[in-house]
Amino acid sequence: MPKLRMTGRGLWITVLVVPPLAFVALFIVYPILSAFAYAFFDWQGLRRLDFIGLENFHTVLFVEPYRSWTLNAFRNNVIVFFALMVLQNGLGFILAYALWRELPGARFHRVAVFLPVVLSTIIVAYLFKLFYHPLFGVVNISLRSIGLGWLAQPWLGQSSTALWSLIIAQAWHMVGFPTLVFLAGMQRIPGEILDAVRMETESEWVKITKIVWPLVAPSATIVFTLLFVGAFNWFELPYIMAGLDGSPFGSTDVLGLYFYRTAFGNVSAGQQDFGLGSALAVLIFIFIAAIATVITLRLRAREIQL
Amino acid sequence: MAQLLLRGIKKRFKTTEVLHGIDLEIGDREFVVFVGPSGCGKSTLLRLIAGLDPISDGQFFLNGKLMNDVAPSRRGIAMVFQSYALYPHMDVYENMAFGARLMGLDKAEVERRIAEAVRMLRLGELLKRRPRELSGGQRQRVAIGRALVRKPDVFLLDEPLSNLDAALRSDVRLEIARLHREIGGTMIYVTHDQVEAMTLADKIVVMNEGRIEQVGSPRALYETPANTFVGTFIGSPRMSLVTVTREGTRLGIADGGSLPIDTKLDARALKLGMRPDAVSLHRGQGGEGFHAQVVYTEYLGDNAYVYVRLADGTLLSARTAPNDDFAPDERVSVTLAPGTAHFFSAEDGRRLVP
Ligand SMILES: Nc1ncnc2c1ncn2[C@@H]1O[C@H](COP(=O)(O)OP(=O)(O)O)[C@@H](O)[C@H]1O
Ligand SMILES: [Mg+2]
Repeated sequence: MPKLRMTGRGLWITVLVVPPLAFVALFIVYPILSAFAYAFFDWQGLRRLDFIGLENFHTVLFVEPYRSWTLNAFRNNVIVFFALMVLQNGLGFILAYALWRELPGARFHRVAVFLPVVLSTIIVAYLFKLFYHPLFGVVNISLRSIGLGWLAQPWLGQSSTALWSLIIAQAWHMVGFPTLVFLAGMQRIPGEILDAVRMETESEWVKITKIVWPLVAPSATIVFTLLFVGAFNWFELPYIMAGLDGSPFGSTDVLGLYFYRTAFGNVSAGQQDFGLGSALAVLIFIFIAAIATVITLRLRAREIQL
Repeated sequence: MAQLLLRGIKKRFKTTEVLHGIDLEIGDREFVVFVGPSGCGKSTLLRLIAGLDPISDGQFFLNGKLMNDVAPSRRGIAMVFQSYALYPHMDVYENMAFGARLMGLDKAEVERRIAEAVRMLRLGELLKRRPRELSGGQRQRVAIGRALVRKPDVFLLDEPLSNLDAALRSDVRLEIARLHREIGGTMIYVTHDQVEAMTLADKIVVMNEGRIEQVGSPRALYETPANTFVGTFIGSPRMSLVTVTREGTRLGIADGGSLPIDTKLDARALKLGMRPDAVSLHRGQGGEGFHAQVVYTEYLGDNAYVYVRLADGTLLSARTAPNDDFAPDERVSVTLAPGTAHFFSAEDGRRLVP
């Protein structure tokens, strides 16, 4: 008979593994599963009524005004994703390259670039809200002081600039993360490989596109995936800077805000519908999980052994 | 065509100077080997020639043109790195084609050059493989191939054999010698192994602590080493050095016997250099020669090296016939074949002409 007696080591492992597993089950798996279940019921506020099958899903996807709200929020998330891809990951890559090449002041900048990442989103959001203030904000004051006063505008107050203002705040906040990951990837490239390239070309462009990028691409997998998840779960920063309604006129509305509004209601407008909210949550979850899996699998495939 | 001229080359990293003024001339089609103990600055010098590190002081001319500020890719120099430094994400073909395309060659020419390299280095069946799917020796050949397709004036090789196992080393050594004959470019080869240097070089540059000790053919270095460093560095087993005093026509070790050696040198104290193959051992003491005691024997099959300790504590090696069994602690006398002694100054170790 195989022994099932706990050895000291086994006991330790159990003690260390069980609490987090229980935690995950209670606060992650259970809510997801229950949200799944809630999505199939009709709700009145927080009171559950009848089982209605896919009705909620149908409503958020095809019935006005939910349909337009969903589409609008989703479109904004897509914009956020691609914009951050360029502004956060693209800039992060360039910053990492500059830091890696030990341009003057690299040591200072290595810390400076990462510092915003450790700031709380709340702080960053309020900070940028102040920056963007139409009258007293640093942005407009600077523009005026260098004679570009005509460019000054209510950044967060108009549909044309609000979302982009938020995106820039977000990119500033998080650009240190891809920078750090890319820098770590670059530092793994053996020095002699770079010397070998330098023997063949002096073009930075060729070095970056043909050698550095392909070799750093494995670290991009995690950065891309996290950015994707982050962009479609975006909540705190727009919530603080633009409010729950995605003001002005829904121009900063994203799925996170929209879901929250639908499920838990709004301070101004009291209506709340847990069923529709759950349906949205499930849709967002499935979408993120599916695409993130595809990204990971696709990008993994081209990882390279150094 | 490639002539290299180095004039007063110095290299400093921050404040430490690691090359203290290198003067050197290298002719077209020469096979030059930089040899010296590790840390003496060979790789540093090679990187200065390649242009990978800036020259702190002095000038480097290639075919009469000052190269100090020319980018590495524009010098007409290719380098084979110690770690091979193949691009891990490209297959063998791409590794070789990459640099050739960057030179602006058209497709047909790139193909032609790769085909030639493939033939010379027998890379045929490897073209579609990634570097990590290759053995050390194969990577080495690809690295050489990558240098070949650029048809450089000068090839630089930094310790190309150091990552290969012993059995492969002599094969690849022969291969490199053959390549040099076949392509006829100037080659500069760095190694810390004097055997590699002796077997490959037209010209050996012996370096030590950031300076050139001597430049010459393998034979010149072996037969007329410029100083004790070169004397003991070149040749295996090492030349033995012993401090002797001259009395008339005899050279003696204090309380350790003496040898009759004819020299016109008038210094009283000398360093005497003896190569193992010039030394003979005789059983017993009292006759001619330095007194010594056997320490141990290295048996190599076709001959044997016997290590003995002289009266002043110096360890000396002698080549003997394999069946001359010398027992440890046996007392022997050491004599030297006529005309084989090397003399060096006792003060600065420089060669003295007898
Ligand atoms: N990048 C560097 N920074 C500081 N010192 C260096 C650097 N590269 C080499 N050195 C020093 O220069 C000396 C020569 O090194 P190297 O040329 O690599 O020796 P070798 O190739 O002959 O073994 C060594 O003492 C080494 O520590
Ligand atoms: Mg070296």
